[in-house]
Amino acid sequence: MKRAALLVLIGLAALPVREGLGAGKDENLATFFMGRIKYANDNGNDCSSVGEDLMKLVSQASTIRVQEERRLRLTDPQIFETPFLFMNGHDEFVFTEAELANLREYLSHGGFVFGSGCCTNPGFPKAWRREFARIFAGTQIKQIPYDHLIYRSFYKLDRVRSNNGNRNIYLEGLFYQDNLVAVMCEDGLCCAFSANNNCNMGKGVDVEDGKKLALNIAVYALTH
Amino acid sequence: MTAHLVFGFPLGWQIGLPIAGALLVTMAWSLRRDGLGWWRVAALTGLRSVTLLILAFLAGRPTWVSHEVEAPNKNSVVLLMDHSESMSLEEDHQTRYARAVKLAREQVLPALKAAGWQTDVLLFAEDVQAADGAQLVAAKPDGRRTNLARAITRALSASAQPPLAIIALTDGAANEPSENSRAVAALVDAHTPFIGIGFGSDTGVQTLTLRQAEGPPTAPPRQQFNIGARLEVVNAEDLPAFDLLLMRDGQLLKHKTITAGKGSRSWVENFPLTEEAEGTHQYAVQLMPPVAHGLTCVETLATTTVRITNEKELRVLYVQGALTWDYKFINLALHGDPMVKLTGLIRTSAHSVFRQNVESAGELLGGFPSTLEEMAPFRVVVLSNLRPSDLTPAQQEVLARFCSELGGGVMMIGGAATFDSSWQGTRLEQLLPVVFASSRGVVGLDRPFHLQLTDEALQHPVFQVADASGNRAAWDRLPTFTEYGRVDAAKPGAQVWAFHQDDMGPNGRRILMASQRYGAGLSAVLCVQNFWRWRLAKESDPQTFDRFWRQLFRYLSESSRQDVAIHFADQELRPQADIRLVVEKQPAPKNVTEPRQNFVVLVEDGQGKKVQEQTLELSVGRPVETSFRAEKEDMYTVKVLDAHRVLIASRSIQIRDVNMEFQDTARNMEQLQQWASISGGLALRAEDCHGTGDLLSQIKERVEQSHHDRLTRKPAGVNGGALGLLLGCLSVEYVLRKQWSLP
Repeated sequence: MKRAALLVLIGLAALPVREGLGAGKDENLATFFMGRIKYANDNGNDCSSVGEDLMKLVSQASTIRVQEERRLRLTDPQIFETPFLFMNGHDEFVFTEAELANLREYLSHGGFVFGSGCCTNPGFPKAWRREFARIFAGTQIKQIPYDHLIYRSFYKLDRVRSNNGNRNIYLEGLFYQDNLVAVMCEDGLCCAFSANNNCNMGKGVDVEDGKKLALNIAVYALTH
Repeated sequence: MTAHLVFGFPLGWQIGLPIAGALLVTMAWSLRRDGLGWWRVAALTGLRSVTLLILAFLAGRPTWVSHEVEAPNKNSVVLLMDHSESMSLEEDHQTRYARAVKLAREQVLPALKAAGWQTDVLLFAEDVQAADGAQLVAAKPDGRRTNLARAITRALSASAQPPLAIIALTDGAANEPSENSRAVAALVDAHTPFIGIGFGSDTGVQTLTLRQAEGPPTAPPRQQFNIGARLEVVNAEDLPAFDLLLMRDGQLLKHKTITAGKGSRSWVENFPLTEEAEGTHQYAVQLMPPVAHGLTCVETLATTTVRITNEKELRVLYVQGALTWDYKFINLALHGDPMVKLTGLIRTSAHSVFRQNVESAGELLGGFPSTLEEMAPFRVVVLSNLRPSDLTPAQQEVLARFCSELGGGVMMIGGAATFDSSWQGTRLEQLLPVVFASSRGVVGLDRPFHLQLTDEALQHPVFQVADASGNRAAWDRLPTFTEYGRVDAAKPGAQVWAFHQDDMGPNGRRILMASQRYGAGLSAVLCVQNFWRWRLAKESDPQTFDRFWRQLFRYLSESSRQDVAIHFADQELRPQADIRLVVEKQPAPKNVTEPRQNFVVLVEDGQGKKVQEQTLELSVGRPVETSFRAEKEDMYTVKVLDAHRVLIASRSIQIRDVNMEFQDTARNMEQLQQWASISGGLALRAEDCHGTGDLLSQIKERVEQSHHDRLTRKPAGVNGGALGLLLGCLSVEYVLRKQWSLP
């Protein structure tokens, strides 16, 4: 009896989520689908609901029809069917050569990667900068200034303030043939739009700014 | 003369003989059984055996092959002396031609004289002329082409009997191949060996060449563009600095000093320019040759024409009901094409519209254009993920007028959400090339499928995404797609470009791509959801995707705006040549109503002087080839005028006298060896000719061998004797059988 009640409760809880995702009857017509990637030693589960929360955000704020996230390894051929990849994490990582080769091909064919450090841990951003700079010879990760379109692709953001200290938060990105193909925010962006900054412990991006920034990144990826 | 018998079909007699034997035994046994005496059986069997033996022999296709040693009919040899300009190149302080004359005087002519052979000398370059000793020495190596084939043909036809041998003193760099096959046939028929003696080094000489001047066909005023000079250095190890001058309409504009560096290479030197006003200018780049010993400057002047115009780039308006990845990937495809600009108009939420690449703050602020004036800046409109409620009937009418009156292109792209049955009967459906389906099918049940291009599409310029040999393979490599929009049929006159691989609709396989003319413009559909998968796919080359979209937008925007197209045939462009061109009337509404029209094709030189004028009757789909004579180096402009002498189309072409002789300055022994091998001759390097005796013995050996090697073939057995014997045996047998009352 308890078990049946639990199942009903789970079912009821799932309903609004699916509506929110915009899946419904048009699921097969979805235009936004996202790959949540497992990479190096990371199993792609850091702050586990963050991927779905990003999809929900995109769905609620726009007419974009979205699908559930796909869990993929970076070496998986399916990444070439998924034009938007999301990766986050807490710790240091090192890409394998196979992962680097796949990413190189993926990004040069038009794919896009959105990375976010979890809980403002410094390990992930540091590794992201180093590893993404290895993808294309002679390239470096650059700070993206506020006059870039990514800050106004959906919401207009003149600047993004940090919750602690008197400083601005900038996205950082990898450019390939003058196109921005990968972005990363080190200041716990995923925890801002997904977990109300609970784990950022007073640091990181403001929740509202975080949501706007995440949606801007998604719309930018869809239009550039 | 020795001869032997060979069988062309030995199996004929090998099988025929046993069969004949069996038939004879059977016949003899049958005759004996009928009670015929032994001598009569022997007579009839003998007669029949002769007949059968003849037939078995003939079944083997016997041929007499004989080696004839033909006594030379004439003791003459032709000496060909190459005096083309490449023979003027100096190596070791002596020109190739001077070395050839020296070898002729000191070795070749004495050797031929010692053999008792008469020598006829022919000087050749682009043409051939007889010469005596004095003319040989006085001749200058200044011919503009090397036509070795013509010289060989002339040597063979100069007298009734072919010469014993043809000896050519040349660098082998023949650059007129058009008469080669004729010369080869003549050489083989005459059994005359070709002896080629090659002069020059195998690496060629040091050259500095201004290959061409490059510039954009059009450029806007007050915007920087480049005039590039494509330079090439060959074999020059340490080239001194030299100057390049840029002239505009004959006036010096800029100057730069070039430090070429070391080694052979090809590179472009750019002159950045900005023009203030509209107009057409001719830019000439002049190379000032450096002073360097042994360096030859092949071409020193090149020109190009640029039209300075305010004409704006091709603008594409991409309208979406919701964001799709196709927009992003098409945007990427157009990144490298400065002349195609994509403007996005996308509904991102119920109350917000995303505008990208608008020209002004107010452009498209009200959403989809509702007047023709708002639509006019665009040349192509792409629709995706829209429902009829997204476009009012008035906006659809504007779109239809944009296509039919302004000659714009309209394209609809997407899957089931785009090709929705609710579009049926709308103004938009009228202008598109397909009939929308009543049902969009069971969404989600589509199996992965391949796009199958029609043969027409594979021939169409839009679909040439790789070089000719790899184009079909490039399309075959497209990934599978997962969803598509259903349409029922193509409209009459529409051109279907692609089908679903197997899914059948009410009128055959489902159409996935099609286009049609609508008024002055073109409309097209691409009924595939997530077409971007092509670019992202691991195994695909993104450049093929990019090329397809650039070509498609150009086609949708431009084809209907030009009534007549002018194409130049693939040919060598040089002065004193006939320049072939094709003019073709393009399908367009006014051309349809007037299927045949007279047009004037006017050709002008660089000074605007009329070179040729002719009237041609043109009709759609029937290209007409014509030509004009380009007498001199110049920029020629071909103009097509209508009956009222209004300019319909024009195209310019530069004719330069490119020095073919210095295109490749290395000695070409391979070419000499080819001529020698087909004629049983010999190819020698000049430095390998050691003394008169040695040379003479080699030439004599080839001459004798060519005459020894003549084989003649005559069929054996097919003659009157064999036929008479055959008929005689049959007749005698017939008579004997009659007398002996045999059947």
